[in-house]
Amino acid sequence: MKKNLKSRILASLCAAVFLGLTACSGQQATPAPATPAPAETPSETPADPAASELAATERTMITYSFWGNDEELRVLEGVIEKFESEQDRIGVEPIQLDRAEYVGALNTFAAGNQLPDTGIMAEDTVLMWAEQGMLADVSQMYGADEAKPLDSLAFKFNGQPVGYSVANEVLNLYYNRAKFADAGVDVPPANVADAWDWDTFIEKAKLLTFDANGNNAASPDFDVNNITQYGVMLCPDFWQLEVWSNTNGGAWYDANGNITINTPESMEALQRVADLALVHHVAPQYGTNTATSIDQDLLQNCAMYVNGAWSVGVWLGAAKANDGLDYGVGVLPYMEEKVTLNTGGVNVAFNTSANKEAGMEWLKWYAKEENSWDLIEAGTWMPVLSEYYTDETLTRQWVENPNFPPYDEYKSAVVDYAFNNARPVAWYWVNNTNLFNNALSSILAPCWSGNDTIENAITTNMDALEAAHMGQ
Amino acid sequence: MKKIKKSPAGAAKKEARAAVLFLVPAFLGLTFITYLPLAAVFILSFFRWTAIMPEPIFIGLENYIRLFTADMYFWTSIKVTVQYAVLTMLASLVYSMAVAMLLNRKMPARGFLRAVFYLPYIIPAMAMYTSWSLLFSADFGVFNSILGALGLQKVAFLADSQTIIPSISLIAIWASGNLIVVYLAGLGNVPRVYHEAAEIDGAGAWQRFWNITIPCMTPIIFYNLLMSLVTYMQVFVPSLLYAGNNRTTYPEYLFMSFLMYRTGFLNNNLSYASAISFVFFVIIGVFTLILFATSKTWLFYEGGDNK
Repeated sequence: MKKNLKSRILASLCAAVFLGLTACSGQQATPAPATPAPAETPSETPADPAASELAATERTMITYSFWGNDEELRVLEGVIEKFESEQDRIGVEPIQLDRAEYVGALNTFAAGNQLPDTGIMAEDTVLMWAEQGMLADVSQMYGADEAKPLDSLAFKFNGQPVGYSVANEVLNLYYNRAKFADAGVDVPPANVADAWDWDTFIEKAKLLTFDANGNNAASPDFDVNNITQYGVMLCPDFWQLEVWSNTNGGAWYDANGNITINTPESMEALQRVADLALVHHVAPQYGTNTATSIDQDLLQNCAMYVNGAWSVGVWLGAAKANDGLDYGVGVLPYMEEKVTLNTGGVNVAFNTSANKEAGMEWLKWYAKEENSWDLIEAGTWMPVLSEYYTDETLTRQWVENPNFPPYDEYKSAVVDYAFNNARPVAWYWVNNTNLFNNALSSILAPCWSGNDTIENAITTNMDALEAAHMGQ
Repeated sequence: MKKIKKSPAGAAKKEARAAVLFLVPAFLGLTFITYLPLAAVFILSFFRWTAIMPEPIFIGLENYIRLFTADMYFWTSIKVTVQYAVLTMLASLVYSMAVAMLLNRKMPARGFLRAVFYLPYIIPAMAMYTSWSLLFSADFGVFNSILGALGLQKVAFLADSQTIIPSISLIAIWASGNLIVVYLAGLGNVPRVYHEAAEIDGAGAWQRFWNITIPCMTPIIFYNLLMSLVTYMQVFVPSLLYAGNNRTTYPEYLFMSFLMYRTGFLNNNLSYASAISFVFFVIIGVFTLILFATSKTWLFYEGGDNK
């Protein structure tokens, strides 16, 4: 009897474990379809009038994941409401996620076969997803006669576009006009023809760096241990460093995606960035400033700040209105070439979606400037269509608002600069930039505090960089 | 007579059955939420699988071989994790024991002070580490302002290989209010009579502390060491906050939990992250065993049989 009871308990437990295992593995064992399930085509007009009526009354619901705060969710919900009011076939359900956890969340969704139909993606993993066939080819999204986003904003895998950036963001030199006036220094040029060379940039930055006694960094009495204001600060987003290699005639990769960060030009440029703190004392040690509140830094801690165009919408516009920050914008200083970087979060349609066409219709609609105007007007996004850079009426419509600096300054320093001098960040065509940047970031860490040189750190770790570049 | 004999045995059986029944939910929970996922992680570590691959590919020991022979982060990660965990565990032991001894004395506002020292433990980790980063800031932080005023050189507390681990360790020590509470409970149970007897025999405060308080507290110390070791080995938040999200990642932030998270969830390589996590699990297990093994030489129970 005892034996029987034991056997029964054991058998029940085994069954429970087995069922549990089957249930647990069910989701994982089912591979994400390499080719999508046949898409429902709600956009096609059914031949049957009854079906047509059904299509008119029943929306195909698709999901759209994004990162952002509650205010951004509110803006997005307004956009979705507008989309749904213009047609009655497709509805969109937003999935709000935290930026820091966004990539992890998408991976978790993918592991559970629960990916949304569409979503924004972090730039550095787009091609990794494309390599696994997870992203739909969006080349068919636009007809031949339709206005497309700038080609420099297309993420391409094997030559096929798999997503377009939702915004065109470029790097610039933002500054606090009052601090320049107080120091009696000319503001950074807005016109690329007058861009400061690197030496001039350092010279100006020295005049804007002060210690507790009011001496600037050009003074022999300057106290490096009591700096109260730096001439310049750099955004700690590691990928932005690529621009300095570019301005020195170098690059982190060539056009074929091979690593070129070990060229003298690329390494010299990064050493010059390190020397801003180590030698000239006009900037904090790179990477020590982990916050990106450019408005507070411009108000209190520095005169100039290098960061992306989103700064206007996220910080500067509000600081101008609320804190009286009179900010200006100039082009970046250069070493050999006058160049900036452009990038922008990318909207993609996932191949796993059963409603891919509906998803693409939503993305195409959303990409139109007039449908994301709140974000453009605020200064968070820059338009992706070339007309906004070439047609003055449209440019004025975009730039002439209280969030921005004066029209002529912004037009020259940002709009023209973005159109004529911007190069896409390598992740538009190079895979595994996330792994490469992880490795490079750790390799260069001792260089920022002067414990190693950029050249030595890179040349002695090329094997590790190559391995990361190959996806290991 | 028979009834009297049988009844306790029957009751015991009944109790045992009830105990088994009550254990079933916990057993099922542990099985499905802990042990089966652990097994799945172990199995997955023998495959190549990103969350976005159509299906896993069996690769045998390749992940482990790469981890031990070719991974540029792995050994650094183990080194900094162990350094941080051991330093923080020992320092928090000394700190929390010292604070507990002080808070155990009769003094005005003792309850309030106990709450003050416990409070850091319940502050959300992100808020706590963000606040400390303002104190530690290399440029305009409070600590560096003091150093500057004293004419000393600034220190990049959170961005220098020499200072990162001690700095974040200090934050964890400051937040070890939970250990203080446990020590306080332990101190309350040290028999007063031992101290009185020792006092009569002329023992000083230090002698009493070393020969009475510490031996009586060894089970509590062991418990706190064990819990804090496991907790500190799993350090994660400082890496995420100070070195994640496109920031410069100093090697001293590459703690194993962060490496696992970054590999699996940011860089898509779930099977490789599984190998890391399994090795991590074994390492924690080994350290726990070492602690248990050494405890036989210093753990003291009042029963006297060391059981």
